[in-house]
Amino acid sequence: MKAIEKSFNSKASMNSFFVVIFLFFTMWIGTGQFTKVDWMLFGYMVASFIFFIGMTVRLTSWVMRPATHEMIKRSIQNMKAKKRQKRNVKAIIKTLIDNIILQKYIFKRGIYRGIQHWLIAWGCIGSLAITFGLTFGWMHFKLVDATTYQVVVFGVPTLKMHPDGLLAGLIFEGLNITATMLLIGVIMAIVRRIKNHDTQVTQRAEFDLVPLYILLAMTGTGLLLTVSYKLLGGWMHPQFQLLHQVTTVLFLVYFPFGKLFHLPIRPMAVAVPMNYQEEPGIDTKECVGCGELYSSDDQITDVQTILGKQMFDFKTNDGHQLSDYCPACRRKIRVMSQLNMKTPFGTSAEPVQTNNGIHIPGFGRERAETFYDAKGEK
Amino acid sequence: MKKVMYLEFERCIGCRSCQAACRECGGHDAKERNYVEYIDFFESRQTFPMMCMQCKDPACAKVCPANAIQITEEGVVLSAMEEKCIGCRNCTFGCPFGIPKFDFEENKMYKCDMCYDRTKYDISPMCASVCPSDAIRFIDHDEMMELRRRRTQMNLIEGKKPSENDKWQYVPEFFGVYSD
Amino acid sequence: MTQFVVKPGVKNLQHDGEKLITTHCCYCGMQCGMHIRVNEKTGKVVGVEPRYDWPVTLGKLCPKGVTAYQTVDHPERITKPLIKKNGKFVESSWTEALDLIEKNFKELQAKHGKDALSVFGGVSMTNEKCYLVGKYARVALGTRYVDYNGRFCMSSAAGGFMKTLGIDRGSTLPWPELEHTDCFFMAGSNTAECHPTTIQWLWKARDKGAKMIVADPRETPTARIADVHLDLKAGTDSALANGLMHLIVKEGYVDEEYVNERCNNYEELKTSVEKFTPEYTSKITGVSVGKLVKAAHIFGRSPRSVVMFARGVEQQSKGVDNVCLYTSMALLRGQIGKFASGVATFTGQGNGQGGREHGQKADALPGYRKIDNPDHVNYVSGVWGIDPAEMPKAGVSAYEMFDEIQKGNIRAMHVICSNPAVSAPNNHYIWDGFKKLDFMVVSDFFLSETAEFADVVLPATTWAEDEGTTTNLEGRVIRIRKVKDPIGDSKTDWEIMKLIAERMGKGSYFNYDNVPQIFEEFRIASKGGKADYSGMTYERIENEDGLFWPCPSEDHPGTPTMFQETFGTPDGKANLAAVDWQEPNENPSDAYPHILTTGRVVFHYLSGTQTRRTDFLMEQCPEPYAEMHPHLASKYALQDGDTVFLETKRGSMSVKARITKAIREDHVFIPYHWGKELSVNKLTNPALDPTSRMPEFKVCAVKLKKA
Repeated sequence: MKAIEKSFNSKASMNSFFVVIFLFFTMWIGTGQFTKVDWMLFGYMVASFIFFIGMTVRLTSWVMRPATHEMIKRSIQNMKAKKRQKRNVKAIIKTLIDNIILQKYIFKRGIYRGIQHWLIAWGCIGSLAITFGLTFGWMHFKLVDATTYQVVVFGVPTLKMHPDGLLAGLIFEGLNITATMLLIGVIMAIVRRIKNHDTQVTQRAEFDLVPLYILLAMTGTGLLLTVSYKLLGGWMHPQFQLLHQVTTVLFLVYFPFGKLFHLPIRPMAVAVPMNYQEEPGIDTKECVGCGELYSSDDQITDVQTILGKQMFDFKTNDGHQLSDYCPACRRKIRVMSQLNMKTPFGTSAEPVQTNNGIHIPGFGRERAETFYDAKGEK
Repeated sequence: MKKVMYLEFERCIGCRSCQAACRECGGHDAKERNYVEYIDFFESRQTFPMMCMQCKDPACAKVCPANAIQITEEGVVLSAMEEKCIGCRNCTFGCPFGIPKFDFEENKMYKCDMCYDRTKYDISPMCASVCPSDAIRFIDHDEMMELRRRRTQMNLIEGKKPSENDKWQYVPEFFGVYSD
Repeated sequence: MTQFVVKPGVKNLQHDGEKLITTHCCYCGMQCGMHIRVNEKTGKVVGVEPRYDWPVTLGKLCPKGVTAYQTVDHPERITKPLIKKNGKFVESSWTEALDLIEKNFKELQAKHGKDALSVFGGVSMTNEKCYLVGKYARVALGTRYVDYNGRFCMSSAAGGFMKTLGIDRGSTLPWPELEHTDCFFMAGSNTAECHPTTIQWLWKARDKGAKMIVADPRETPTARIADVHLDLKAGTDSALANGLMHLIVKEGYVDEEYVNERCNNYEELKTSVEKFTPEYTSKITGVSVGKLVKAAHIFGRSPRSVVMFARGVEQQSKGVDNVCLYTSMALLRGQIGKFASGVATFTGQGNGQGGREHGQKADALPGYRKIDNPDHVNYVSGVWGIDPAEMPKAGVSAYEMFDEIQKGNIRAMHVICSNPAVSAPNNHYIWDGFKKLDFMVVSDFFLSETAEFADVVLPATTWAEDEGTTTNLEGRVIRIRKVKDPIGDSKTDWEIMKLIAERMGKGSYFNYDNVPQIFEEFRIASKGGKADYSGMTYERIENEDGLFWPCPSEDHPGTPTMFQETFGTPDGKANLAAVDWQEPNENPSDAYPHILTTGRVVFHYLSGTQTRRTDFLMEQCPEPYAEMHPHLASKYALQDGDTVFLETKRGSMSVKARITKAIREDHVFIPYHWGKELSVNKLTNPALDPTSRMPEFKVCAVKLKKA
């Protein structure tokens, strides 16, 4: 494996190569050895490949970061450990439902933000799934008889349905539904960004705003297409189609580099209940200084490994690492050393004497004591 | 940014204006990011303010598995990006000074950003603006060096001589973004 | 006139869609400069921006100041007049409320005479309003019974300054000069918590080598860094001052030339301090001899010194004596009337200085005029357009009004801008008084503890909804700007007084359409008085960063430093105090073995009506506590956080104990900002100072037990 990696010059390009090969393979199966490729979607297809290559490059370098690597390593270990299966399953289900499907924590930041994010998230995931499904030919529809359609996935015939039925309606209108969700969500997001000064403090145009505007353009043109052939009898349809294709290609290519890239990272949130904090807000590790519970052993071990790998030396005189102390104790350690006092956790039983005569009193220049001395000259 | 933040703990009177003011700053979502704590209330009323050092190579960002903690071009270490933060709290344990705060409800970390919406225009951050005792100051780099020299002299007067390895312990805190 | 005042080169953050309006904080006497952020579309107050170029505070704010704007659009604001029907408040219209007030006021006056009505004012409002309160009581209602909450706050300082210096101006020097002082002598002032933005000047002076001597039973954050902390027993200030003067005289630190030229009574003073040897003083005050000697040497040898004091010294049954003695200390050293030296009291309330000058006091008329002086009465009657014979005689002080209620002389009260149900001593007596009243009106913008006793509550505006001037603790007159229009049906206090005056048939004397008209009248009313504002205009105040009174003409520059040539006494000389030491009214006994003292915390202001409704402040300090030394706590087996039951002759309460070594072993401290069950003023002693009629909040005997 190392040899192959070397010949690719980088892990990222190697991974990208395998991803492309895999995609081709699935396409080969899905399209019946390339017999049913929808060449109308060729542009989308190329963009989708670029999308996957971009994602692979970004994810590879991300996983190589020591912090990420440690967390994933521990997650894999725990997944394998037989003893932890119950906790693992619980963690995965809970994260999946609360964090990913319902996105409860965002609703806690505000109902408006919750709705906005949920619409964009599921609009995006839905649209991407349908787009890739169609462009790579992973799935297509077959007319069985005059009143029955069948969904074919990877060449395997599955569901049958009536073309006027509810299910069929949902599936055919899938993109329109997700696009509408996206449109509402994106407009909400843009309105928030215009109205709320706070969002403007740290936002960056290329990272936060451009992806939103591209998303808006893509969903807008996509819905225009629908409007065009349903209501306007195909007016300007080819032009809209070109526009939509351009914006979609732009979107797919930009996706791995803008803020939307957080989508594939989010599932890692499962590592928190699985590896570190089983119940939210309940800690198990004691602070070396004050004895308060502030973390878990595994997490501190991981943090110390990560710091060590990156040459951070946070060792205290008593042989502990700073991360063995709770945040409040760490703040106190910093202050005590600045005030030229011993740390509050030494063996000394002396009271904390803040009037140490070194900095206080008199923050600046001192006037000689003799000036005020009873015997001194006036 | 031409100025630095400068802390002198002994000046603190424990009024917590800096915390009230922190809530007022744009993007702070009415949550304070700094600390004012008693050293030991049982013994004395000495308090100290505490805030982010804006490290050049921040440990919090380096221990973040989601790469969510960004540093602006001026060198300000920002709160974890809300979209990336997975809520693992590694940053709160990695930080050698115990600065990042964590909101369990909203599942995100937040920390001092030196009032980025003010300091990027060279306007003093809210905490330093309001601090009635000048325990927190936002001053020129040169002024900071001058103050540090004075403090070092004072320590020498008192018979404690800092050595090359521990002299940082003898001078008051300064931090923030500056060019060497 | 511009709304946003900023000097060239000063950068402020201005958001799009918002405007900044320059004003001052509504809370304490520091009157810190600030800009209020207002949303241009909704007109709502959204935040605060520091005013870096205000020379007194340089943009600094305490936590109360930072959050002050939050009370303006607060959801608990009263927006409609409330009338109590069957024990419950019902929202009503102004007409209905005024009808009721008119009917009751007229009926009571017809039955019991003019003096059946009374007005209880406050000084957390502008000069214009404070001035109008006196006029409202005497002209519109025609009653002699008017007084104000300054009696609980600064009347001892006023009395003491009048006696010694002849004019009562809180500070004889402007605040920014403090930076150049060599020595601060501070007594009974928890500056770091009560006037936090002063600290920057003290610390700056410290940077230049100034020394600090702090006299306080608690090691406050100010006392913490003092060179000498005189940890005296509460209520022994006059002994301490005498003791220090004894040493100053003995060691030859007296500025003989100054004293001979400008002071009376030097020989008497020498005789009276004779017996206060360090040993004798130490026995009374509990301060060690060494500390006393050191303090005297530091104070005596400092070329420039400032003597500062606050409520700790003043809220005693001998508050005036204390003030006179401490002021004499500064006089002995020849410090008053010179650069970076002098004497100052920390005014507690926002407009405590201005509010006490202009006739809200029972015996006073605008410009520090006296109601028992026929010339003064004639002058003010002329300004008001009334017959001097109609001017009511002097009334009684704030606490004594409640005696009059108990006697049945006062039948109705209009409380404006005050909350005596929390802030007056001996709460039970006060509450009982309110219940005895036939009719009670309260103007306030929150439903305060006092308002709950009222029959009619009139919705007043906050400081941000009206304009005017206030006078800060230096004696600097400053501009308060209107930030937004009043919410709901609320009206400014001057409009309310005008409306009631109209109903009482005196509308012609209150013919104001706006605040500047009141200011113009008030300038004339103060003209020729000791506190002369006649040379001030809004433009000048704005252009000159505030103006110090006296300012007798429009080309007069104002008076930042007082008494440079002469004092305000008839002979132009200051009167040194030759006063013996007296015990506090109540001393520890076997039944009540410890001393209870009260005070403020940095997070709350006065009776807490506003600050207890501010989230940040309540999170920091949600309830009162009893601070005590571990030595005292262990006597009662109290741990930090245990509930302790305290009892005095007047009342009792239970609070949590907070244990620290930063307080004298024999003292218990409780902050007073809470009402009802949590009010420490149920316990405090109403013994009054004979001159200033100020109650002895700061000392009473208490017993404790673990609850």
